[in-house]
Amino acid sequence: MSDLLKFVENEVQLAALAFLAVVYAARLIWIFRFRSRKERTFAAGSGAEGVGYSLMNVAMPWAMESTRKRPGFYAQFVVFHLGVVAAITATFIIPYAPGVFRIRAVATVFQAVMASAFLAGLLRLVRRLTNPVLRLVSSADDYLSLVLMILFFAAGVLAVPNAYEKAEWPLILFFGLTAFFLVYVPFSKICHYLYYPFTRFYLGRSMGHRGAFPRRRKAGIQVSGPVKEDRA
Amino acid sequence: MPHIEVDGKRIEVNEEGFLAHPEEWSEATAGLLAKAEEGLAELTDAHWAVVKFIREYYLEKNLAPMVRKMCQATGFSLMQIYDLFPSGPAKGACKVAGLPKPDGCV
Amino acid sequence: MKRVKRDASGVVDAPLDTRTQARAKEDRLPSLENGRLQTYASGDNVGRFLDLLGRRITRSLAVSMTACVHCGLCAESCHYFLARPDDPTMTPVWKADQIRKIFKKHVDWTGRIAPWWVRAASPHGDEDLNRLKNVVFGSCSACRRCTYNCPMGVDTGLLVRFTRGLLTELGIVPEGVFNVSRDEWETGNQMAVTEQDYLETLEWMRDELRTELGTPNVDIPVDKPDCDVLYTINPREIKFDPRSIAHAAKVFHAAGESWTMPKWGWDQTNFGLFSGDDKLGGYVARNVYEAAERLRAKRIVISECGHGYRSTRWEGYNWAGYDQKLPTESVVVTLKRYLEEGRIAVDPARNPEAVTFHDSCNIARSGDLVEEPREVLRRVCADFREMFPNRRENFCCTGGGGLLSMAEYRPLRLEVAKIKADQLRATGAKFVCTMCHNCVDGLSDVIKHYKLPMRVVQVLELVSNALVVPARTK
Repeated sequence: MSDLLKFVENEVQLAALAFLAVVYAARLIWIFRFRSRKERTFAAGSGAEGVGYSLMNVAMPWAMESTRKRPGFYAQFVVFHLGVVAAITATFIIPYAPGVFRIRAVATVFQAVMASAFLAGLLRLVRRLTNPVLRLVSSADDYLSLVLMILFFAAGVLAVPNAYEKAEWPLILFFGLTAFFLVYVPFSKICHYLYYPFTRFYLGRSMGHRGAFPRRRKAGIQVSGPVKEDRA
Repeated sequence: MPHIEVDGKRIEVNEEGFLAHPEEWSEATAGLLAKAEEGLAELTDAHWAVVKFIREYYLEKNLAPMVRKMCQATGFSLMQIYDLFPSGPAKGACKVAGLPKPDGCV
Repeated sequence: MKRVKRDASGVVDAPLDTRTQARAKEDRLPSLENGRLQTYASGDNVGRFLDLLGRRITRSLAVSMTACVHCGLCAESCHYFLARPDDPTMTPVWKADQIRKIFKKHVDWTGRIAPWWVRAASPHGDEDLNRLKNVVFGSCSACRRCTYNCPMGVDTGLLVRFTRGLLTELGIVPEGVFNVSRDEWETGNQMAVTEQDYLETLEWMRDELRTELGTPNVDIPVDKPDCDVLYTINPREIKFDPRSIAHAAKVFHAAGESWTMPKWGWDQTNFGLFSGDDKLGGYVARNVYEAAERLRAKRIVISECGHGYRSTRWEGYNWAGYDQKLPTESVVVTLKRYLEEGRIAVDPARNPEAVTFHDSCNIARSGDLVEEPREVLRRVCADFREMFPNRRENFCCTGGGGLLSMAEYRPLRLEVAKIKADQLRATGAKFVCTMCHNCVDGLSDVIKHYKLPMRVVQVLELVSNALVVPARTK
């Protein structure tokens, strides 16, 4: 392995991670500097239960009409984000536990996941370029983040075999992109995973307190007179 | 601005069907408003009693009368007013009487 | 690629009409003099807007600003976009972006350094603020259906209200919004009903009820202390249709309830919810809470009103900075209790026609009541049927968010009400029941415009119709 690759796999990653940690800490402080309103009403439900339900939203496609109506889009979301998990895990496995990817099955699974995410990313790019609503609202950040993620998945597929004796460029590309993302993410929309717990927490707590989350049907309703079958 | 035609004249109404210029009201206008907005083919004496009261009250006080005053003055009960003007005293009777739209989230 | 019809609704260009504001200034209204009511003045409104934005933003709103990933899933949850699918400016994401881009430019990080990268932008002059007013007041009923369909949990409905509040502070509001705010500040109620009108109407309804029931023992008490229930109403019930007050009085009488209405602080509606003005919201809500305290009532009961319920039961305590001390409930919950405890007896055969129920946004999505009205309706109607979607996924009546007071947005509102009309028509019901006065008018407009063979009713009317010989008389 060349010194350059060793440097990019290790020192550069650590420096970029340190930068990410510092910026995220600053971002969290920024978020917490905004004031939060006190709740003064009696509860009609549980804020805590609402928070739990709300945070689980990402894993409950049946809970929202939008994901029920667009199961394909939800599937893309799952595939794409599984790819993210695989790619990030790979950036740790390759330098610090390379033995894992010498197991053929594991490497293949990771490649398959990232290849699917690559395809999902392409579909998303097509959607972002052709859907009139997205064309109207998308920014340069939206486009670049997606394009780079697509490249990232492709690089990941090529990097996982970790065949640095044959060619180093896939690994350098992969870790180069990783480092770039670590520095870029806090300033871009990709940071949304940091905000997700916050938005879902506040929405969940408020709606849980008001008994609107989680969705439930009360059992044992007294009925009189003919009632058409209803589906909630 | 949408409008209605009365005796060959264009009378402006606002988006809700109320007269844009309340001064332009006439009995003919009332008849047309009643037909267009309330689905009333013609106005009976009972209708006119209500409309005349509202119009006079408005011209004197520059306000729409409370529905209670309408009932007291005309002797009709609230139910009867709703029978005469299906949209109710504010949106139905006051509109036919040429008043501007009442404020409020109604 | 589909052709995009942008801004074809024309709503964005509605001009700022300040005639009634000018008149209010001429009349030197007290609420103007003491700074409660705000009017438009030329000057650095953009600067003031940005200053307000920075000072008023809360944590939950800030994260709603930053968390949007422009995925577009909210688009198909909004009746404005569903009715105008070629107009992307009708989507929640675009509407929210109109305030979000300003936040990104002036409060967030990246937008301050490289605004073009994240499409951050400042408003330029009062014309841009006016256009923003048209977006947040005229193309959105703040129903929060998009909030419930966002995978990130972005609360676009609340962002819209927040933006409205900033504009209200600058007097850059639709004329209807100014008028109603003025009336509520000046008279304590939304429709400028005087105390005399209020008291006389209550007496009138009491007299009519006495005639109907054939007994002098029924009353509508005003300012009676130490009662169990303090009943608060919508000014519309005084000004336009007091029959609902009579219905409530009849039911309270049949249930043997100890109740009263307050002389001051009887308005449970709250235009501060629609104008985004927390000060007004707190003022009106506090009037109710203090009335209950003054009269030592044990429970506050709110007549059927969606935004009134949300404002008095939920938001008002926070706006007023007043810790809740008394149970505060909708009259529908009171009715449910009477039915369950056998305090009133009903016969569903007295409501034989098909009835469907319209869940109001402020009660179902922003509140807790979804099964309760159904439990009541199933007991008082012979043929109750659901519309689809329903409960928290129901579509707005299209008259929400104060739109009924803003005539200039009516054409667009009725156009997009097609979604609601289709929904109503599919039920085949003769009556649509709702717990909200705004929805009554919103739905009536839809029914009239789309010529549906239906009528709108409220729960109290149906219960009052179904009431049998009172379980006990005083």
